[in-house]
Amino acid sequence: MFRRLKEMLIKEFIQIFRDPRTRFIIFLPPIIQLLVFGYAVTTDVKDAATAIYDQDNSVASRELVSRFIRSRYFKVKQYIQQEEQIRWLIDHSRIKAVLQINKGFENDLRSGRTAQVQMIVDATDSNTAGILLDYGQKIMQEYSQEILLDRVARSVGTVQAIAGLDLQSRAWFNENLESRNYYVPGVIAILLMLVTLMLTSMAIVREKEMGTMEQIMVTPISSMEFILGKTLPFALIGFFDMVLVVLIAWGWFEVPIRGHLGWLFFGTGLYLMTTLGMGLLISTISRTQQQALMTTFFYFQPMVLLSGFMFPIENMPEAVQWLTYLDPLRYFLVIIRGIFLKGIGPEILWPQMLALLGMGMAVFWLAASRFKQYL
Amino acid sequence: MRSNNPGDLAAVVRNLHKQFDGFTAVDQVSFEVKKGEIFGFLGPNGAGKSTTIRMLCGILPPTSGEGRVAGLDIYTQREQIKWQIGYMSQKFSLYEDLTVEENINFYSGIYQINEDTLKRRKEWVIAMAGLQRHRDSLTRVLSGGWKQRLALGCALLHEPSILFLDEPTSGVDPISRRQFWDLIYELTGRGVTVFVTTHYMDEAEYCDRLGLIYDGRLIALGTPEELKVKHMKDAVLDISCERPMEAMGMIHQLDSVKEVTLFGNDLHAVVKDAAKAKSAITLLLRKKGMSLFRLEKIDPALEDVFVSLIEAQGKSTYTAGKNS
Amino acid sequence: MNLRRLAAVARKECLHILRDSRSLYISIALPMILLLLYGYALTLDVDRVAMVIWDQSETAESRELISRFTGSHYFTAQSFVASYKEIEHVIDARQALAALIIPNEFARKLGAGEPTPIQLIVDGTDANTATLALGYAQVVTLIYSQEIILQKVRQLRGQLLTVPVEVRARAWFNPDLESKNYIIPGLIAVIMMVISALLTSLTIAREWETGTMEQLISTPVKGPELITGKLIPYIFLGLLDVLLAVLMGEYLFHVPLRGNVGLLFAMATVFLAGAMSLGMMISIITKSQMLASQAAIVVTFLPSFLLSGFIFSISNMPVFIQWITHLIPATYFITLLKGIYLKGIGLEVLALEAVLLTLFGVVVVLLANFKFKRKLV
Repeated sequence: MFRRLKEMLIKEFIQIFRDPRTRFIIFLPPIIQLLVFGYAVTTDVKDAATAIYDQDNSVASRELVSRFIRSRYFKVKQYIQQEEQIRWLIDHSRIKAVLQINKGFENDLRSGRTAQVQMIVDATDSNTAGILLDYGQKIMQEYSQEILLDRVARSVGTVQAIAGLDLQSRAWFNENLESRNYYVPGVIAILLMLVTLMLTSMAIVREKEMGTMEQIMVTPISSMEFILGKTLPFALIGFFDMVLVVLIAWGWFEVPIRGHLGWLFFGTGLYLMTTLGMGLLISTISRTQQQALMTTFFYFQPMVLLSGFMFPIENMPEAVQWLTYLDPLRYFLVIIRGIFLKGIGPEILWPQMLALLGMGMAVFWLAASRFKQYL
Repeated sequence: MRSNNPGDLAAVVRNLHKQFDGFTAVDQVSFEVKKGEIFGFLGPNGAGKSTTIRMLCGILPPTSGEGRVAGLDIYTQREQIKWQIGYMSQKFSLYEDLTVEENINFYSGIYQINEDTLKRRKEWVIAMAGLQRHRDSLTRVLSGGWKQRLALGCALLHEPSILFLDEPTSGVDPISRRQFWDLIYELTGRGVTVFVTTHYMDEAEYCDRLGLIYDGRLIALGTPEELKVKHMKDAVLDISCERPMEAMGMIHQLDSVKEVTLFGNDLHAVVKDAAKAKSAITLLLRKKGMSLFRLEKIDPALEDVFVSLIEAQGKSTYTAGKNS
Repeated sequence: MNLRRLAAVARKECLHILRDSRSLYISIALPMILLLLYGYALTLDVDRVAMVIWDQSETAESRELISRFTGSHYFTAQSFVASYKEIEHVIDARQALAALIIPNEFARKLGAGEPTPIQLIVDGTDANTATLALGYAQVVTLIYSQEIILQKVRQLRGQLLTVPVEVRARAWFNPDLESKNYIIPGLIAVIMMVISALLTSLTIAREWETGTMEQLISTPVKGPELITGKLIPYIFLGLLDVLLAVLMGEYLFHVPLRGNVGLLFAMATVFLAGAMSLGMMISIITKSQMLASQAAIVVTFLPSFLLSGFIFSISNMPVFIQWITHLIPATYFITLLKGIYLKGIGLEVLALEAVLLTLFGVVVVLLANFKFKRKLV
C-alpha cells in the first residue's frame, strides 16, 4: 500500500515541480500577497486630512487647533476661510474632517458660557469616520475639562479640591493597537485556504477532464491511497507556505509570536485537513475545472467573510453567528491569533482544535465515500 | 514526379523546416500534393506529421523553407489559405457541451456561409454523417465514429478544395474507420484533395501517394506500389508456427534474417536471400522441436517496407501491430 | 472585424454559459449572497462589546458609572467578576473584549474631590474594535467627569457653572455611520471583479486545453473577433449582476443612490470590459485553466478586495502601498461608485477616475489582442 502511495506522491511532485509555472505559483504569490496585503490591511487611522475653519482666530481657538495638530489621528492640511470650501473639499475627497470654531469662541469660554464647536467628518468610510469622531471629541472634551477645572479653581478657589475621573486604559496583547497585528495572521490563514482549496479541487478535476483519471482507476489503487496521494503534496506545499509567511510576518512585519510554534503547526495541520478535504469534496461534485473554480469560490468567499477575519462575529446577527460554527477558518483564526498575539496554547484552544479535527475527519470521510463511487 | 504545371498542384513544399528549442520537429521536408489525390503522411507518433500539417494549415509558422497551398504562400497568405482548406485535428475539436446542430451553426458562422447555402450544407453534413436523429444531441454523448464524421462535416461546410486530416481515425472502431474512408473516396471523386496523416499502416494502402516520415525526415515518397517495389530490396517471408513469440526471438538471431516482426499471429521476416533464410528457419524450428505450419515468400506489405526503411535508418526494433 | 464571425463566437459563448448551469447559477447567486452578508451580517460598527465589570466599590456612584458605559450601544455588560485572574481568563478565552475595574475607594475619592482613577482593559487583538471602544470610553468618561465636577461645584458653592465646550458632530453622507452604506457600493466593484476573474479567466485556456483553439486557428476567424465575441456575453452577465446589486441595495438595504444611475451603468460597462479583458488576457497567456485561475485570483480578485479601498481605507495605508493602489482599476471604480451613491456627485468631480478607468479598459483590450497574436506563433 505504501509503495503505491509513494509512487503516486512522486508522480504528483514531479508534475508540480517540473512545470516552472506551478513552481512559481507555489512560492511567489504567497510571499507577494503577504507583503502587499500585510501593508494594506490596516484600519489604523492616522494623519487623516483635516481642515480647520477657525472663525474666531483667538488664543483659545488656536490652542484647541494645536491639540488637533499634535494628535496622530489628524493631520491639519488646510485652513479655510469660507463655508463653501468645506463642501468642495469633502466632495473631492481632499479632506476627511473639518473642525469648525465659531466666532466668539474665546469670549464664551472667558465669560463662563458654553462655546460650541462643530466637527464634520466624511462618513463615506464610516469606520474611519467613527474613529475620527471619537478621538476628535476626546480632544475637545479634554480641552473642555481643563477649562472647566480652571473655571472651578477661579470661582471656588484652590482650597477645596475638585477633580474628575481619570481613565487609565490598557490594551492587552497589542499595546499600540496596531491593526496589522490582527490582520496579518488572518491574511496568512486566508492565503493558506485559498491555495490548498483551489489547487486540490482543480487538480483532481483536471485529471477527470484530461482522462488520466480513468487510467488510475483501472489500477488496483484504493480510494484512500488515491486521496492521500492527491492531498499530501498539497498539504506539504501548504506547510511550506505556512513557514514562509510566518517568517515574513515575524521578521518583516514584526508581528509578535508569543506562543509555541509547535502548536501553531499542529493547528495548521488540522486546518489543512479541513481545507484539503473540502477541496476534495468540491472536486467530486464538479465536472469541469470551471465548475470546480466557481464552486470553490462560492464557498470560499462567505467563509472568509464570516470567519471573523475582518468583521467581528460578535457584530453579526444571532442566526448568522450560528452559521459561523461551520466555518473552519473561524476556528483557525482564533488559534493563529491566539498563538501569535496572546501566547496561549491548547489549554485554552482545545475547543477550536477539536472542532477542526472533527470537521476535517467528517469532510475527508465524505469525500472518500464519494470517491469510492468512482473507483 | 514533378509537374510542370503548378495549377495541378494542391500543395507543394520545399525544404520545409521547423525547429523548436533545440529540437528539430520537421527536417528539410519536400513534397508535392496533386489536385484531387489522397496524399498520406505516414509515420510513428512524434515523427513530425502533425507539425507538418499545422504548418500547411497556417496554424504554425515554419522556421524556414517554402510552401504553397492552393497556390497561396504559407508565409504571406496564411489568412487566405484558411478559406481554401478544411482542417480536422486529432482531437476532433468539437464543442462537447454544444449539440450537433449548434456545432454546425457555429462553424457556418465562422465561415460566413450565407443563409440559403447554409441550409443546404447543413443538411448535407448531417446526412453525410448519418446524424439525422442526433441533431439535438449534445456532442458529448456521441460515440467516436459519430464525432469523427461530425468533425469532418464541420471542416467541409465551406466546401474547401483541400482537406487536411490529422489522424482522423485514431480511437475509432474499425467499421467506422471503413465508413470514413468511403467518405474520403467520395470526396476525392468530386475533386477535393485530401491530405491525411496516420500511423495505421493498413490505411496507407488507401492513399494515392504516400510520404513516409520518421524523426522529422521524409524517408520515402511515392505510390504504395512504388514504395513496395523501389524500397524493398529485401524479401519478406511469412512464417506461421507454434509459439510465435518464442520463435521470433530465436529467428532474429539468425544471420540471414534482418528483421522479424509480429504480424497478427504470424511472423514476418525481412531477409536478404529468401531461399537461404527459408532453409535456415526450417532447420532452426525443427531443431527446437517447434511445429512449422507455413513458410512462404510474400509480397511485402507497407508495414514491412516501413520496418525495413526504419531499420536502414539504423534504429532498433520497431514493433508494428496490424491494429496499433 | 467581421460581424458575422463575431456573432457566431458570441452565440457559441452564450450557449457555453447556459449549458454550464452550475457556473451560471453561481455567478448570480454568489453576488446575492455577498450582498446579503454585507447588508445584514458584516459590519465593523462597534456594537455591544462584551465587557466584564469588577466593581470593587459597589456603591450608587459606581453603579452610575457602570450605567454610563452599558447604557450605550457600544458596551454590554457580560458579567461581574471579582478578581484579576478572572479577567485574564475571560479575555484569553475571548468571552469578553473589555474589562472595567472600579477601585474600592471610588465613592470616597469622588466625595473628597480627589482625582478618581478607573481602569479599562481592552483586548487589543482586534485593534479596530479596541480603538473604537477605547475612544468611546474616553469620551464617555470625560463627559461624566465634567458632570461630576459641575455637580461638586453646585454642591459646595451653589454655583452653576456650565460645560465649557459642547461638540456638535456631523457625519456627512452617512449620518448613522452605517458601514453598510459605504460597503455596498464598493461591493459592486468587488463582485464585478470576482465574476470577471472566475468566468473569463478560464474560457480561452479551456479552448487550448480541449484542442478546439487549434481548430479555430485554422479557420478565418481573427483574434479580436474571438476576444470580443467572448467578452460580450460575459459583460451582459456582469451588468445583470450590477442591476441585481443596485436593486437589492435600493429596496432591501435602503442604501441611497443619490447620483446618476446612467453614469453608474456606463462606468460599470467600461469597468467590466477592462476587468474581463484582463481575465481573458490571463487565460490567453497561461493556456492552462489551473494556472489561469490561480493567476486571476492573485492578480485581480485579491487586490480588488484588499487594496482598492473597499474595506480598508487607502488613506490609512503606507504611502508606497497607496501608489500600488493606483494601478488597480477597482480602486477608481470604487471611488466612482461611492461618489455616485453616497455623495451624489458626477463627472464634474469624478472625471479623472472615469478617464483612468476608460484608459485601463482600452489598454487591457489592446494588450489582450496583442498577446493573443503572439501566442499563435
